[in-house]
Amino acid sequence: MRRNKWKKWVSLMTGLAMTAGLLAGCGGSSKPTLKVYSCGEYIDTSLLGEFEREYNCKVIYETFDSNESMYTKLQSGERYDVLVPSDYMIERLMKEDRLQPVDWTLLSNAEGLDAEILGKEFDPDNTYSVPYFYGTVGILYDTTVVDAADLEDGWELLRNTKYANDIYMYDSERDSFMIALKALGYSMNTTNTDEIDQAYQWLIEQRDTMKPVYAGDDVIDNMISGNKAMAVVYSGDAAYIMSENEDLEYFAPEEGTNVWQDAMVITSDCTEIQLAHDYINFMLDAEHAYANTVEVGYTSPVTEARSRAAQQDFAGISAYLPETTGENNEVFRYQEQNIREYFADLWTKVKASN
Amino acid sequence: MRHFIRLIRPYIVWAVVMIIIPLLLIVLYSVTTGGNDLVNIQFTLNNFKKMTEPIYVAVFVKSFQLGLLSVGICLVIGYILAYLITIFSEKVQNLLILFVTIPMWINTLLRTYAWICLLSDNGIINSILGVFGMEPMSMMYTDFAVIIGLVSDLLPFMVIPIHTSLCKIDQSLLEASMDLGANRFQTFWRVTFKLSIPGVLNGIIMTFLLSISTFVIPKLLGGGQYMLIGNLIENQFISVGDWNFGSAISVILAFIILIAITSMKQIDKEEAEEE
Repeated sequence: MRRNKWKKWVSLMTGLAMTAGLLAGCGGSSKPTLKVYSCGEYIDTSLLGEFEREYNCKVIYETFDSNESMYTKLQSGERYDVLVPSDYMIERLMKEDRLQPVDWTLLSNAEGLDAEILGKEFDPDNTYSVPYFYGTVGILYDTTVVDAADLEDGWELLRNTKYANDIYMYDSERDSFMIALKALGYSMNTTNTDEIDQAYQWLIEQRDTMKPVYAGDDVIDNMISGNKAMAVVYSGDAAYIMSENEDLEYFAPEEGTNVWQDAMVITSDCTEIQLAHDYINFMLDAEHAYANTVEVGYTSPVTEARSRAAQQDFAGISAYLPETTGENNEVFRYQEQNIREYFADLWTKVKASN
Repeated sequence: MRHFIRLIRPYIVWAVVMIIIPLLLIVLYSVTTGGNDLVNIQFTLNNFKKMTEPIYVAVFVKSFQLGLLSVGICLVIGYILAYLITIFSEKVQNLLILFVTIPMWINTLLRTYAWICLLSDNGIINSILGVFGMEPMSMMYTDFAVIIGLVSDLLPFMVIPIHTSLCKIDQSLLEASMDLGANRFQTFWRVTFKLSIPGVLNGIIMTFLLSISTFVIPKLLGGGQYMLIGNLIENQFISVGDWNFGSAISVILAFIILIAITSMKQIDKEEAEEE
């Protein structure tokens, strides 16, 4: 989902190289193969080679740009062993029997996980999911442009016409509605269509008055260069951007925000079950988790890796250790199909209205 | 030729599997509900009814305006370019046409990323402006950016058919026209342009088809809030997961394109009969 273009090329090239390696390897030994499907720019790719050498296997690492597109791909019949989706999508996959339970006895590095991060509502006993990264959604703002007093507005800051034409929204259905619902004081998991309609109006009015750009990954480069006054970003992206541009600061409004978690899960049609667990365990190793978190800027649930990164690489960067305990914060929950379609329809309209 | 008729059989199989079945599926999806599984489908026209909502109509209108504008710009630039190319000797012409097509050897996605590097707020163009002490311009996420991306992408499809038509024109016709007292402009307008109309129409059809269904260029250069028909369809399939509505939009788009092409062909035919 996140990170700058050059890295995209690099990962594209690695992908090509891996495919080439795979083709070349066809005739020779039949090594076990693990198919991993994860968010783009979400790993230190050198770890994949290391894992392949250590476990004498092939890893096919593919990336998606949103949970929804990942789901579409699964639905079209693609088969993967390990996925790294977000909380609400994990809940959906669980309900649809697309996952198999994780055998925690095979995960020797699991004790390094921060217990605070485990047992979230979407998977209360962590039967299916092993945390990979977590964080919040907030506003990244340029301290040289945005008046500190305006931060009192909370999410309404995104409708403060002083900053019209000067904001990036994040091109994500659930996060955009989360902002509008929280600004209005509702739960982001509401199923009340009145509240959803009000949130829709909030977003439409914002579009009309603020002319925001609904950005994707490009927001990272653009904010590093200081193109606009503020942007809605994930805390992990904020940490990375702030490490490149010191004029920026991150805050998650008190009205509450989305405390999200991306976790590793094993699909029900995974055949290399031992290898899948080895992969998850490998990523939980403090050294490897540290490499990942430093590479991408997202907050690691592995205590040792997180504290090391917070002290060394992201010292003084508030977004790296986002406040997750605020009383209004919530975790995204599974939506019934009719509500999902209701949101999807309104979101299409928000984006299509001119 | 009759003994070769069997050779087309593989193509028929190919066409059925790769074109006809998918098309039928799209039509089937567009008139049903019940999600993507096709297990418990119900027939409905609601998907089409939804398209009449003002927001979606506006998306269609905007796509057409943008498509036509891009085609218009391509036509002007493409015609001039094709005309200038025909002035040179045949050898040089081949080389020049090669230059026109060279960008097509590179993937559209890469070319679009190159435009991002040029146009972004801290991109190459603004850096150059900065050197001369000029204020940076905001060009990304505007109609301008999308149109420039489309025009640069589509130009070869306009230049090549026009060039082919222009090449076929018999030089003696132009000499005859001059002999009969027409000035250079009259000769161009009444002889050269008239004779190049088939190429022009082909170019218009090609570029219009491509510009009306594009989604990568507006998405990258226009941002996530830039919604054209192509983006609307992509959105329904990839992120919203409403394949039924997505199919309905595709069917309507296909229908409109069909009408556009037929009327273009009609103009072409009338032109031919006039002569």
